Amino acid sequence: MTDRRIKVIIAKPGLDGHDRGAKVVARALVEAGMEVVYLGLQQSPESIVRAAVDEDADVIGLSILSGAHMTNFRRVKELMEASGLGDRLLTGGGIIPTRDQEKLRELGIDKVFGPGDDLQGIVDYIRERAGRPSKG
Amino acid sequence: MSVEKPSVSQELWTDFFAGSRLACARLISVVENSPQAIPEVLDRIIPRQKGGIRVGVTGPPGVGKSTVTAALARRAVQAGRKVGVLAVDPTSPFSGGAFLGDRVRMQRLSDDHQVFIRSMASREGHGGLSPATPYAADVLDAFGLDRIFIETVGVGQSELDVMSSADLVVLVLQPGTGDVIQALKAGIIEAADLFLVNKSDLQGTETLLDSLRFLMEIGGGPRRKSLPPVIQASALQDRGLDEAFAEIERLVSGLVASGLFLEKRRARLESEVRAAIGRELWDKYAALTNAGEVIPAVVGRLLERRRSPYPYIREAVSRVRILIDEERGPREEPQ
Amino acid sequence: MKNPNRKKWQERYEKGGLRDADFTSLSGRPLEPLYSWEDLEGYDPETRLGYPGAYPYTRGVHPSMYRGKLWTMRQFAGMGTADQTNERYKFLLEKGQTGLSVAFDNPTLYGRDADHPLSAGEVGKTGVAVSSLADMERLFDGIPLDRVSTSMTINAPAAWIFAMFLANAEKRGIPFKALRGTLQNDILKEYIAQKEWIFPPEPHLRLITDLMAYCAEEVPQWNTISISGYHIREAGSTAAQELAFTLADGFAYVEHAVAAGMDIDDFAPRLSFFFNSHLDFFEEIAKMRAARRIWARAMRDKYKAKNPRSWLCRFHVQTAGCSLTAQQPEVNVVRTALEALAGVLGGCQSLHTNSMDEALALPSEKAVEIALRTQQVIAFESGAANVIDPLGGSYYVEKLTDALEEEAERYFRKIDELGGVVPAIEQGFFQREITRAAYEYQMALSKKKKFHVGVNEFVNPGQTLEIPLLEIDESVERDQVERLRRLRAERDNAAAEKALRDLKAAAFGGRNLMPPLLDCARRYATLGEISDALTEVFGEYREQPFF
Repeated sequence: MTDRRIKVIIAKPGLDGHDRGAKVVARALVEAGMEVVYLGLQQSPESIVRAAVDEDADVIGLSILSGAHMTNFRRVKELMEASGLGDRLLTGGGIIPTRDQEKLRELGIDKVFGPGDDLQGIVDYIRERAGRPSKG
Repeated sequence: MSVEKPSVSQELWTDFFAGSRLACARLISVVENSPQAIPEVLDRIIPRQKGGIRVGVTGPPGVGKSTVTAALARRAVQAGRKVGVLAVDPTSPFSGGAFLGDRVRMQRLSDDHQVFIRSMASREGHGGLSPATPYAADVLDAFGLDRIFIETVGVGQSELDVMSSADLVVLVLQPGTGDVIQALKAGIIEAADLFLVNKSDLQGTETLLDSLRFLMEIGGGPRRKSLPPVIQASALQDRGLDEAFAEIERLVSGLVASGLFLEKRRARLESEVRAAIGRELWDKYAALTNAGEVIPAVVGRLLERRRSPYPYIREAVSRVRILIDEERGPREEPQ
Repeated sequence: MKNPNRKKWQERYEKGGLRDADFTSLSGRPLEPLYSWEDLEGYDPETRLGYPGAYPYTRGVHPSMYRGKLWTMRQFAGMGTADQTNERYKFLLEKGQTGLSVAFDNPTLYGRDADHPLSAGEVGKTGVAVSSLADMERLFDGIPLDRVSTSMTINAPAAWIFAMFLANAEKRGIPFKALRGTLQNDILKEYIAQKEWIFPPEPHLRLITDLMAYCAEEVPQWNTISISGYHIREAGSTAAQELAFTLADGFAYVEHAVAAGMDIDDFAPRLSFFFNSHLDFFEEIAKMRAARRIWARAMRDKYKAKNPRSWLCRFHVQTAGCSLTAQQPEVNVVRTALEALAGVLGGCQSLHTNSMDEALALPSEKAVEIALRTQQVIAFESGAANVIDPLGGSYYVEKLTDALEEEAERYFRKIDELGGVVPAIEQGFFQREITRAAYEYQMALSKKKKFHVGVNEFVNPGQTLEIPLLEIDESVERDQVERLRRLRAERDNAAAEKALRDLKAAAFGGRNLMPPLLDCARRYATLGEISDALTEVFGEYREQPFF
């Protein structure tokens, strides 16, 4: 018997105080039965990935409305690979132009969410993609 | 019964003993998510433990437990300790999910990354910790950490778990809220080793201290003859925490020197052994007798006929030995 | 109900059968199907409404409103480097815009230099990067600062950004008394909603009071704070929360300045407000009308201001960024037009209309032009500017104005019980109220109780975006970092360091901080250096997470 609940890190990298989306999504994930470690504002990619290591998180979700998404996603992805978290899901949301979404896909970030995306869609995506080989 | 596959891979053990932080984190996930793996984990880690001290931090909601925990942990790092923090937040009874926000309150501590911080959802735990928290502390101890801070949920219910799993309990209170009565009801006052009055710049500190003294006088049982040390602090202004940390270290030395530390550990281990035997026996009994279905049926009949359950219980217990003997077969006579 | 006709209507209404729809306002306010004269029984228009330009100003702050002077069409703009933004300003002025509004990038808003580690990837992205007086000089190069009014949307480091603005004017020989404009400078809503802070509330309030005192003497035409509900709304609040929290912030600034010994009539005329205009047309208009009445009454009766100019709630309006969608972005033009019209009918003094592509990226030049043209259509074609407060006397609008006022009053009492605005912030009261409202709205969308066209209804599957987007080149960051490096190498470092030391000394003591800040700006101390110097004295603010 295992009682595995999906553990998600929600963080806002860099200098961007728009935390409405991050909070609403965090709450929706909690209500969907997930354990959400909320890191809050002004996080560096380093501090986000370090937290993900200690927490053994299944998912890292970044909320970025500052336009710094390419820099931050790229850096977090690199640090995840370097820290042995290459098999965990990296996703996020914010104001991310279509063209950049394509560039993010090339980095291995398959899906990011934007204004108007349905909460249930976010929950479903994470549920579907958070699985990874046994934690033990 | 089939032999269970080990829940922890050899690779993970190798990484863990080589000091991999991620492996340590994953091992905590194992004790959190797979209770059946706990015996296997304890078998491997207990020989590696070096007696890391567990400091419980508890108190009513909103008193600043996280900020206090972070401040104490920071001082432990400065004193050259290897430090871990287990911060427990409540699981939602409706969704089973949890919002774990303690890291935000421990920002500076988390930034410096010398401290292993793990957020835990309380899950089925109702005494302020998650059922896996004591085992997570065991893992951190085996990982080589020598000060492990355990912050309880603090939603106001009785948070007594921490007393049985910590070597030392810090009770955080704040003036002007009437929390003392709650803490007294919960029995925590009698168990706390140190009172930390946070936000002591607020009005009402003297009143709080007076009522603490009074309560100790009238309520101090055999365990507690005098008021434990009281430190006035303000975690936000970083005041009084050097004193608090020094006091903790002094208490730790005292515990070790007086043998009380071992006594506490002994008592903890004893209750663990008792509980584990009870669990194991029950699991075995339930498997052999199909108790999950039988008991509800029996209870239904008892209720209907207004009968005491004890004749049934006596019969059931007497069957246990027979059943176990049968299962073992003739080859394995007990010594 | 006394009126038999009303009763008759009510019966027919109830029999008629209704659509299966949610009839609450955007903020979830229950609404009657009809408002009629019976709903305003006992209503005294003399005291509740008065006349435009007279107490309680429900109908407008000027006697002639838009017949005298149209609202200022002020498009918020800024991106990339100071040079790029300077070009955009010249473009907008040429197209008929009448005031400038500076958008700063995130590092600047947090008081950090472009080369700070947390600035990586953010330099010039959502606004212009200003790290020192040198950038300020280039930003306003060739722009007649004594003839256009300048609004600067900046809060945490507002005082030293303003010091750089003043130092630039000084260098160009423009007298401070000729400068007109607005500084947002509203730190309380940062703790509440926008989260761009540096210091804890108490020392920051001192900084604001210092700035108000300095401007009262030296820069008398400058609006020292634009007390902002916009961000509170964007963070997800309801209309009533926006109204109540914004005015409560206003009261807190007034109380702080009065406690510091200022005469209310010396600074209150220079306070202005900034509201959001969201999609619920009537609720927004009612909110703006209620704001004027509440402010006037509090200033006159509670705070005893004697100068009628102190009673005026003058405000800027921006259409709701959070109402824009990434899906079918052209439809945003329509949303923005409705919201802008609400702002005008609500009696705003200046207006920003969002561009249709803002849910996707920074606005492109084309999109900005359409947004400005939207205002011009309202001003010059629609007739909305011909008559003052045209919805005054509408049963519905008056009833709604009263309801918002009452709801705000309930919030004021709650805030008082918590000990005031700062203690309420520390206890997470506002943050929790807003987060809850945001979540409820999101759930209403999820359950299709509320609609967002193109998002949860009338969706075009597989649509692709066809509007051109503006992209900020990564070279902006490199260039800015390089310029900063050169500045530090070339300026008189001894003078800059001395100015920073003097600033710290003043911060430790009680002296007004504006003169030493101005001196730091003159010596080309950078934004981040000034922030660091003050942080040494004032400490850093950290937020607790509130849900």
